[in-house]
Amino acid sequence: MSMEQKAGTRLIVKDVSKTFYQKKIEPHHVVDKVSLEVKDNEFLVLLGPGHCGKTVLLNIVSGLMPPDEGSVYLDGEKITKPNPKIGMVFQKLGLMPWKTVIENVEIGPKLSGINVKTRRERAEYFIDLVGLKGFENSYPHQLSGGMKQRVGIARAYTNDPEILIMDEPFGQLDAQTRYNMQNEISRISEHEKRTIIFVTNNIEEALYLGDRIILFTECPARVKEIYDIDLKRPRDMIDPEFLRLRKMISNNTDLAL
Amino acid sequence: MNNNNLLKKGRRMGDLKYMILSVISVLTFLLIWQLLVIFGVLSTRTIAAPTQVLVTFFEKFYSTAPDGATIFTNIAVSLKVSLTGFFSAIIIGTPLGMLMGWYKPLDRFIRPLFEIIRPIPPIAWIPLTILWVGIGLGAKAMIIFFSAFVPCVINSYTGIKLTSQVHVSVAKTFGASNFKIFRTVGVPSSMPMAFAGIRIALGNSWGTLVAAELLAANAGLGYMIMMGRQFVRPDVIILGMLTIGILGFIFTWIFTKIENVVVRWRTL
Amino acid sequence: MKKTAAYDQKRRPIKKILNSLLPFVSITCLFLLWFYASNINPDLVPSPASTWERLIQLFVKPVNKMNLFGHVWASLQRVFIALACATVLGVTVGVMIGWSKTFKAIFGTLFELIRPIPPIAWLPIIIMWFGIGEFPKILIVFIGTFMPIVVNTYTGIRLVMPLHLDVARMFNASNRQLLFEVAIPSALPPIFAGIRNATSSGWMTVLAAEMIASKAGLGFLITRGMDYFDVPLILVGMLAIGIVGALLAIITEFIERLLCPWNKKLEQD
Repeated sequence: MSMEQKAGTRLIVKDVSKTFYQKKIEPHHVVDKVSLEVKDNEFLVLLGPGHCGKTVLLNIVSGLMPPDEGSVYLDGEKITKPNPKIGMVFQKLGLMPWKTVIENVEIGPKLSGINVKTRRERAEYFIDLVGLKGFENSYPHQLSGGMKQRVGIARAYTNDPEILIMDEPFGQLDAQTRYNMQNEISRISEHEKRTIIFVTNNIEEALYLGDRIILFTECPARVKEIYDIDLKRPRDMIDPEFLRLRKMISNNTDLAL
Repeated sequence: MNNNNLLKKGRRMGDLKYMILSVISVLTFLLIWQLLVIFGVLSTRTIAAPTQVLVTFFEKFYSTAPDGATIFTNIAVSLKVSLTGFFSAIIIGTPLGMLMGWYKPLDRFIRPLFEIIRPIPPIAWIPLTILWVGIGLGAKAMIIFFSAFVPCVINSYTGIKLTSQVHVSVAKTFGASNFKIFRTVGVPSSMPMAFAGIRIALGNSWGTLVAAELLAANAGLGYMIMMGRQFVRPDVIILGMLTIGILGFIFTWIFTKIENVVVRWRTL
Repeated sequence: MKKTAAYDQKRRPIKKILNSLLPFVSITCLFLLWFYASNINPDLVPSPASTWERLIQLFVKPVNKMNLFGHVWASLQRVFIALACATVLGVTVGVMIGWSKTFKAIFGTLFELIRPIPPIAWLPIIIMWFGIGEFPKILIVFIGTFMPIVVNTYTGIRLVMPLHLDVARMFNASNRQLLFEVAIPSALPPIFAGIRNATSSGWMTVLAAEMIASKAGLGFLITRGMDYFDVPLILVGMLAIGIVGALLAIITEFIERLLCPWNKKLEQD
């Protein structure tokens, strides 16, 4: 226990910075002194333009990459390597093409040595939940973009994480599928309550899903503003309050998102 | 920031460590080989020490024993044969593959003949070629031609088949004729694949050369190692093998340089 | 637009028939050429009929106590044994030098130094070391098959997507699990491509080995044809070589499809 924390806070990001060097000399600041807190069971949206900084921040939070400065604490413990309590839905999915849907979904428990029967049951439950029943034995390349994303979500849930990180999961989907998937994730997260950190560059998506939105600046990523969203669920994208918030956030960003 | 610089330094140190390790491993290999020969574990009738191979290398600058030619004559003979076969295969094979990929009737006419020839390894042509053409330059060049021709055709054919339909449509909207589209869109876009084929052809032609010279020659590097065996000269055999390997390596290296210049837009 | 489409369709049947006839035309041309050449010089170019006769004769009066199938099997056996050893050893070495930088430094460099020497160039020294029995021939074919398998396995392991490794790391995979659960399965398609290359390279190498020193096998058969000026025998041998080679290619591709059902690239081909 190296960090005191307020009740209900799960994850603390404190003064995290990261710099890369382009062509070995030019410093390229991607994350600059970011501090934030994630509360238990909240749906937190990190909203920011472009592709700068957010993915790096997530890789640091998940323990895949060490920060240059600052630290990340989960329940008071400093994060130095990936932790099974944190699950991740990757932007580019990373489904293993040689595994069938169910083999992909059960990979988490499999790697932790859980027996076939238990992990199959769990995988089947989440495959059902994300609406992929009947596709257990298909290979990823036989699925559409939205279906693949569902596999990625089921895979993260099956490892039973307490905190789920989703890195622009719908960034590569077409508008219609994206809209459906937003509904789906909203439904799934109501059904299986978890702490979720959701990254997006889309204001509507952020407002549609988030309990809280943290707005980032462009490059390097810094926290610009934090919004508490008290709209009732399910949310309505043409509700006047929704539109007001949308306008407010949009006026506060440097670029049209 | 400091942290990152340190990391980078660490990585460079790591690279250096592995480089030293490779050098040590190669030197150890040579040393063990040398010692095994010196202490008579391996007979000098079946293997020559690395230093002996080096000595033979310098001797072969002027000595013509046991195969009747200096090493440079042998290299020159081998190069002449392999380059003749290799270049004629490129000149005939690559355009043929492209034309077949672009013009359907030509494809349908030539493809069956090509499919009959394709599965026969070039080495299998050696006896027939010797009977038909003899064992001169032409015969060996022909065998090498067979080995290089097949990959040249296949790859340039596949390359031009993969031409983006969008590019073709764009050219069509400008009213270009079919041949003009072939020349300006098809040929350039098939270049990376064509070069990949030529690269395979290069390896094949050098490998086949050795086979051709082992079986039918009176000079050349393959002939030199064959004679080395007959006169029980392991030093000459190993020298020949190394020369063949090094020349093959140099060819590939030069070729990669050319390829990078010609298709430098490839990775973009 | 519609008008031209209809016009195209009307014009198409004749063109289509012509197009579908072309392969037969070309094969017929080939046979005509063969007949013509065999008429001019029947010693150098035997007619199709005499080639066929020679094939039958090969069963009636075997060469070196073996009919055609015997020789085919002799060659195939060598390739299979060598290929099996090369697959086991080659994949192991390829995985090791692809996964561990230390192994790469120690063995990779040596391998790179030996690799440019064509397998056939090993023939004289291997004959010198081991004579002309069965083992040296298998060894030569082994060298020819080992190289492509190592190279492809190595490349496959190096090209594992970092994202896949990250995914597994996210699930707390150990280094061992990263290798066996992620790196090796994802390298399977290139490994199989390597085995496919190795099969055709092995088929070629075995012929070379048999042509230089052997008493059985298809390579021996065609050299025998050359020595006895028996051109029909050479042709029979070449045909058998081509047919077996093509069958080997088809079989390896079939096995590859069976074992790597996710491999999209094959599906599209």
